[in-house]
Amino acid sequence: MVSEVRKTRLGGREGAVIARVLPYVSWLITPLLILLGWQLVVSLGVYPEFIIPSPAAVLERGVEVIVSGRLWENTQVTLVQTLLGLGIGALSGVFLGYFAAKNRWVDTLLSPLVVTFQSTPVVAYAPLLVIWFRDGITSKVITSALIVFFPMFLNTVVALRNVPPSLRDLMLSLRASRWQMFTLLEVSSGLPIILGGLKVSATLAVIGSVVGEFINADAGLGFLIEQARNAYDTPLVIVTVLTLALSARLLYGFVEFLEGRLLHWQRRGSR
Amino acid sequence: MSASLSARNISLEYAQPAGKRLPVLDRVTASVGSGEFVSLVGPSGCGKSSLLRILAGLKSPTHGSVAIDSQPITAPSPRIAIMFQDANLMPWRTVVQNVALPLEIAGISRNQREARARALLPRLGLAEFGESFPRELSGGMAQRAALGRVLIQEPDVLLLDEPFGALDALTRERISLDLLNLWHGTRPTILMVTHDIHEAVLLSDRVLVMSQRPGRLIAEVRVEIARPRAVANMYDATFVEYVRTVRTAIEHA
Amino acid sequence: MMRKLFAFLLGALLLVGIPAATAQETRELTFFLTFVPNIQFSPVYVALERGYFEQRGYVGDAPLNVVIEHGDEPLGVDLIAAGELQFGLVSGEQLLAARAAGRPVVFVHEWFQEYPVGVVVPDGSDIESVSDLAGRRVGIPGRFGASYSGLTALLTSNGMTEADIDLEEIGFNAPEVVCVGGVDASVIYINNEPLQIANRAAAGDCGDVTGVRVFPVAAAVDMVSNGIITNESTIAEDPRLVSDVVYAFDAGLRAVINNPAEAYLISADYVDGLPLDEPLRAALETAAARQVEWLAENPTATREAIAERRVALLTDLQAQFSSNSLIQLEVLLASIELWDADRLGFSELESWEQTQAVLLEMGFMEAPLDDLSSAFTNDFLPGTAQG
Repeated sequence: MVSEVRKTRLGGREGAVIARVLPYVSWLITPLLILLGWQLVVSLGVYPEFIIPSPAAVLERGVEVIVSGRLWENTQVTLVQTLLGLGIGALSGVFLGYFAAKNRWVDTLLSPLVVTFQSTPVVAYAPLLVIWFRDGITSKVITSALIVFFPMFLNTVVALRNVPPSLRDLMLSLRASRWQMFTLLEVSSGLPIILGGLKVSATLAVIGSVVGEFINADAGLGFLIEQARNAYDTPLVIVTVLTLALSARLLYGFVEFLEGRLLHWQRRGSR
Repeated sequence: MSASLSARNISLEYAQPAGKRLPVLDRVTASVGSGEFVSLVGPSGCGKSSLLRILAGLKSPTHGSVAIDSQPITAPSPRIAIMFQDANLMPWRTVVQNVALPLEIAGISRNQREARARALLPRLGLAEFGESFPRELSGGMAQRAALGRVLIQEPDVLLLDEPFGALDALTRERISLDLLNLWHGTRPTILMVTHDIHEAVLLSDRVLVMSQRPGRLIAEVRVEIARPRAVANMYDATFVEYVRTVRTAIEHA
Repeated sequence: MMRKLFAFLLGALLLVGIPAATAQETRELTFFLTFVPNIQFSPVYVALERGYFEQRGYVGDAPLNVVIEHGDEPLGVDLIAAGELQFGLVSGEQLLAARAAGRPVVFVHEWFQEYPVGVVVPDGSDIESVSDLAGRRVGIPGRFGASYSGLTALLTSNGMTEADIDLEEIGFNAPEVVCVGGVDASVIYINNEPLQIANRAAAGDCGDVTGVRVFPVAAAVDMVSNGIITNESTIAEDPRLVSDVVYAFDAGLRAVINNPAEAYLISADYVDGLPLDEPLRAALETAAARQVEWLAENPTATREAIAERRVALLTDLQAQFSSNSLIQLEVLLASIELWDADRLGFSELESWEQTQAVLLEMGFMEAPLDDLSSAFTNDFLPGTAQG
């Protein structure tokens, strides 16, 4: 009813209509601009079509590989690897991070190593992982888990260190057990930082599994890119890259959704 | 129920980086009678809060001992509740959940504990805010919720560490009087650390004055103003006299 | 104030001007090679070191300043196709796949006259012909590249398919896997793995294997292997540059074939970890000098005579040095056997047809090229009249 009234009141005022529609379509603006620029580069012939194919050619190739199932087959492999890597990496990162935050010795033994390795590019050691764990999905899952582990570990340590000491005192004064300290205080208090880490990790996990695939694989999106490159199928390379980007975005979106559900208390009343 | 509280010969020292030791409390002996309301005032950094934390069982003294009804205190006790300067609410819990926290830790079922918390809210003036999150509350409301979290424990002894320090003057006055009214109900023993001499005189049976660090007890002022007290009392000549006595004691600290 | 500004502008002009001036004095050229620096690229190293790229400058032409860039084949092909680079060494199959996908690249010099892939079996094996591979475990680096094409060609020419054998992907580990008996046979590069296995066998470090036999793909099918590619616009706009580069490479290749000891010494500056201790260096220097003399004395020496000199060189060195320090020289000598021909660089339409047939068979190409004959040209080979 209320919207009815508003409509009549705003009727004819185009600026107001745009202002109302804009929030729903604003995310489209940047992709559309990129698409426009892309088409422009193709139309002007800056590069030959085999280097930068037209959006239409890419779309056509995309439809082909979707219909044939080839894209989905490979996407599945990469997604499974990524999710396993993310799960294993995140759980072990949080687990060890918890002990590092609690125990000075664990911290001294692990943290320098983690900080050093975190700043090492994954492509540098991924070939070793592929040699050690051979082909199949194991080496990709491990690469992905490892790249996820570092930020999750560090974020967990930071999250637990950032639990307000006054709340710790409160819990102690209420004679909370170690387990209650963890479930009632540390988990909730650390969640924003840990979920922040998970958001970054979700995209890193995709990188980890694709890097592994580039080195040696017989399936997956990274493998599909290599195959397309060797067949000089540039449109397919772009289709696959876009699929990868979309997968990473979806994973990121899923963590954002989780964040929204778990941290609703942060948003309420923040108007 | 209430209980008496005593501190005997309490000293506290902190280890310094260079192997030195920083004395914080120096042989403090004091007691609070059962059902008594006592305030502790003194210059900042004199160790008031440390003394309170020792009494709460959160910290061990270097020397000396503390006791509740002659039972030594070595760890947090269910009979003692402490309230901190900040409301110190958990931002992810609603007001009801925050107030009910002590009962949750004590293992009381969700229905029971939340019912008890809800029953407490009207007395705190938070009847409509049970499902609000802390960030939606004003400073005064948050502090009332924190007070609720203390009261729900039905403690024999209440330790208040500058509980209203972060509030504006008017809010502070109102909450102080609310506290006083609540205290008249169950009459727990209260020891309150405060900066505010007026507040101390208005609320307390006795005001203890501590010296600069290392903190020692240097004066004791017994406030013999009839209860119940109200804001109007603050303009009486006797009240002003008490305030002056306490202030002079602090200035000589 | 004005003076300072003027001085600054002058300085800026000079800075901008200097590189522009030097760019006119030489012609920059990047030569694209695959993989990593390797003894097999010795023809390029020799051509660089000997100045073959500058040698045939025409009056008024700036000398060529050639640098090497390494990368994977699809990247090199695309850079050349897009005109970012002009020349590279790429396999014939990649060239056909690229042309099928619209890349205007052209093959101008067939470096490997013989396809370098084959199947290796241990000496005592009961596999006596390609048909005996049926039902046996055959190792391969992976289902890609020249090894896979070569295997497909070999099987097809014997009326077999991949389904008739038990193909196992083993990466580039054929020597290890063959030595422990992990496979019955393995697809390998003729100029590399068989030598390594034989070396290990000779040292008693290869299980029961005492020696190897090789079934070369080339014996069954004549496929085009690696060679120089360029793009159509370079051919159209700067044909002289194409013939200069082809000439230089060809001359380098000839020099390696004629004097491998010298080529090995030159390559040591380009290839990290090439075995070359002092005694070996001395022996190679002596051999190289002797070969220079011999070539001067026998200006019309036949291919066969020169090949005999190479065999003699190896026999001579094997008497003095361990097989470990000679392995890369052996790789070079084995490679030369795949390179040497009466007419270096020449490729025939028939070889291209056979290569295309294999790619179609493997599904790497969907349809034959409309104009297979424009995928390559022999027009730029030295001694060929150009239009």
